[in-house]
Amino acid sequence: MDLNPMHQFKVYKIGPEINLGNINLSFTNASLFMTISAILILSLLFLGTKKKSLIPSKIQLITEMSYTFVAKMINNTAGSGAKSFFPFVFTLFMFVLFCNMVGMLPYSFTVTSHIIVTFTLAAIIFIGVTIIGFIKHGIKYLELFIPKDVPIILLPLIIVIEIISYLARPVSLSVRLFANMMAGHTMLKVFGGFVISLGLLGGWLPLGFTVALIGLEILIAFLQAYVFAILTCIYLNDALNLHH
Amino acid sequence: MKDIKEISTRLKIAKKNIKKTKKENGSSNAASLGKALKISTELVAAVVVGSTIGFLLDNWFDTKPLLIICFFFIGVAAGILNVFKSAKKMHKKL
Repeated sequence: MDLNPMHQFKVYKIGPEINLGNINLSFTNASLFMTISAILILSLLFLGTKKKSLIPSKIQLITEMSYTFVAKMINNTAGSGAKSFFPFVFTLFMFVLFCNMVGMLPYSFTVTSHIIVTFTLAAIIFIGVTIIGFIKHGIKYLELFIPKDVPIILLPLIIVIEIISYLARPVSLSVRLFANMMAGHTMLKVFGGFVISLGLLGGWLPLGFTVALIGLEILIAFLQAYVFAILTCIYLNDALNLHH
Repeated sequence: MKDIKEISTRLKIAKKNIKKTKKENGSSNAASLGKALKISTELVAAVVVGSTIGFLLDNWFDTKPLLIICFFFIGVAAGILNVFKSAKKMHKKL
């Protein structure tokens, strides 16, 4: 049972079952680890901004670095007009990053390895960006689907293609994060299983692989959070500055 | 009066510096890395979305394999379009 590499992704409820109508609202291990990530982020930011000294302490340095990192990212990709969306992008980046990183700890659960979590995040971004685009440009936002200099005969086909390519955004955004996290953790577990089944004699090679893979996984955990946030910025840029 | 002049020259220098850093950051490696990672899944996602739309419409209109075939190819076209767009954007920045 424990050697099954997919066993780590099992969602089970903690405590009593809560039903609200037809919706099951029980507290699960996924909700527990999301709460842990949120508490970690809040405590980091709280401790980092508590004592604002000119020569920053380590925690203050981390907090300020994460702030400038996201602020620069928004400025570079979406322009200064997107500054007001900083809280949203920052929350998103920190949440995905901490969920990924908490998932790297032994015996923990990786929330982002479930497509429903990543797809919900992507859907929120997609719907939000579409609404922002319509608020900013009104009905003119639909011009996004009509490229310039297209013959009228081709227009119906092109519009269908453009709409599908627009609808593909949340899918690609969510699948990328989910697939990377799930594949990485499954691979770690498979190599971990090799260590046990090969025993003392041959287990050293897969053990070395596991150590190397953990390093790679930590890199991917960071990179995926970064890509998730930067794509949010790119989509925001498309919605704010039409035709660029 | 002198102070005001000094402040205004300082302001000009600071503004110039800001413009410089903005230009330098414009084509940073990190941004292109994000775009490169974007391309990898965009192609597949568009095909999946196109096929799903075709499947749903097929169920709706009872025209089984016809629409799913059409929308599969439209999805492929959308995927290639996405990749093309991203590549074009990257080219512009370089």
